[in-house]
Amino acid sequence: MSEDPAMNSEELDRLAGEYALGLLEGEELAQAVRLLAGDGDFRALVARWSGRFAPLLEEVEAESPPPELWARVERAIVPATITAQPQGSNVVMLRRKVNLWRGYSAAATALAASLALFLVTRPDAPVPAPRKTGEALVAMMSAEGSAAKLVATFDPARNSLIVTPTAGIQAVAGHAHQLWLIPADGKPRSMGMVVPGAPHRMAVPEPMLAEMKADVTLALSVEPAGGSPSGSPTGPVIAAGKLARV
Amino acid sequence: MDPDMDRAAAGFRTGSEEGRRLAGTLSAVARGDEAAMADLYDRTSAKLFGICLRLLGSRTEAEEALQETYVTVWGKAATFDSAKASAIAWLAVVARNKAIDRLRKRRPGADAGLEAAADIPDSRASAFDLLEDAQEGERLAGCLDELEDRAGQAIRSAFLDGASYSDLAEREGVPLGTMKSWIRRGLLRLRGCLER
Repeated sequence: MSEDPAMNSEELDRLAGEYALGLLEGEELAQAVRLLAGDGDFRALVARWSGRFAPLLEEVEAESPPPELWARVERAIVPATITAQPQGSNVVMLRRKVNLWRGYSAAATALAASLALFLVTRPDAPVPAPRKTGEALVAMMSAEGSAAKLVATFDPARNSLIVTPTAGIQAVAGHAHQLWLIPADGKPRSMGMVVPGAPHRMAVPEPMLAEMKADVTLALSVEPAGGSPSGSPTGPVIAAGKLARV
Repeated sequence: MDPDMDRAAAGFRTGSEEGRRLAGTLSAVARGDEAAMADLYDRTSAKLFGICLRLLGSRTEAEEALQETYVTVWGKAATFDSAKASAIAWLAVVARNKAIDRLRKRRPGADAGLEAAADIPDSRASAFDLLEDAQEGERLAGCLDELEDRAGQAIRSAFLDGASYSDLAEREGVPLGTMKSWIRRGLLRLRGCLER
């Protein structure tokens, strides 16, 4: 599947260069995006062109970002564990929505399992610091009346969740998508912000590792930028699902 | 010159002390070291914000792109290979990709939502072999200089300012097809020159 039958290798490399430069629009852009999604060789060509041009970035003038930006980054990557959260109506609503998603179809779980295996075993890079390993888990997340769908996979070798938004999650200015873990005690704990569109890893903080087990629910809610100010979900739950063993 | 920029520019050279330090910091980030992440941010955010701002032209959007950049770096630092790229070049490409994804989304044809597939420089692809030695920047500059002026400038402007084919054609007052053939010819010659 390395080549679009309509294009020879010279044309593919040219398209990769044009995509890497950011020149494309319309049908050509759509074609490049399709190739990127399905063709590792094309991705490699794009990466190679990006590498060729990278030295140009050296000449770009530095500019200090606003001081508060680090706090936003930190909130997004280091999820705060929630402390002493009374079970307000939002939490109850969240749990009710979550209940709707118990017993998700076997087909979906099988798909998620195969994806999880792919993600966990991908020979991406040397695993930096393998710690004690639990079991690989996966949750297919969605909700009635919501277009959002995502797959969350727990990688026990790296104590992280691999979150793959597959549909319906759009970046909206002023809003964030916050991921919650709801263990047996029913109190949602923040796992951090999900990045729309891109598969990414989220570190699971040490105190929450014990909760990474089958039947624990994950839920995604829409929150103000930077995350829920109260430390518990305040916005609508647009997707939820239970962790299951791979 | 801003000291941050000085340091970041020095880091483009893998052989430099700052380059080695940054590579070490990035490896610590890959192990989930939050203090290393804060250090990495302190040392590189001005450079990366400059890149996002130049491409996007809006501080608000550049801030969002910068935030996405570091979230991605936090999650994917393990894919960085210090044998193949300098840390700052890798980070700079991640930041540029985040900014350019935003630009692409403003254009028709971009609604497939899969642009992010190319967010991370693919280490498998040896994408950064060219950055291994300190001469690489000069080499690229030399090869760009060998192109016709109009092609070299257009390529620079696309990469650094986020100009699309139609932006460039309009700016130069030439038909779209003419701009495409200038750049396509330029890309072919550039590849030949860099691989010599």
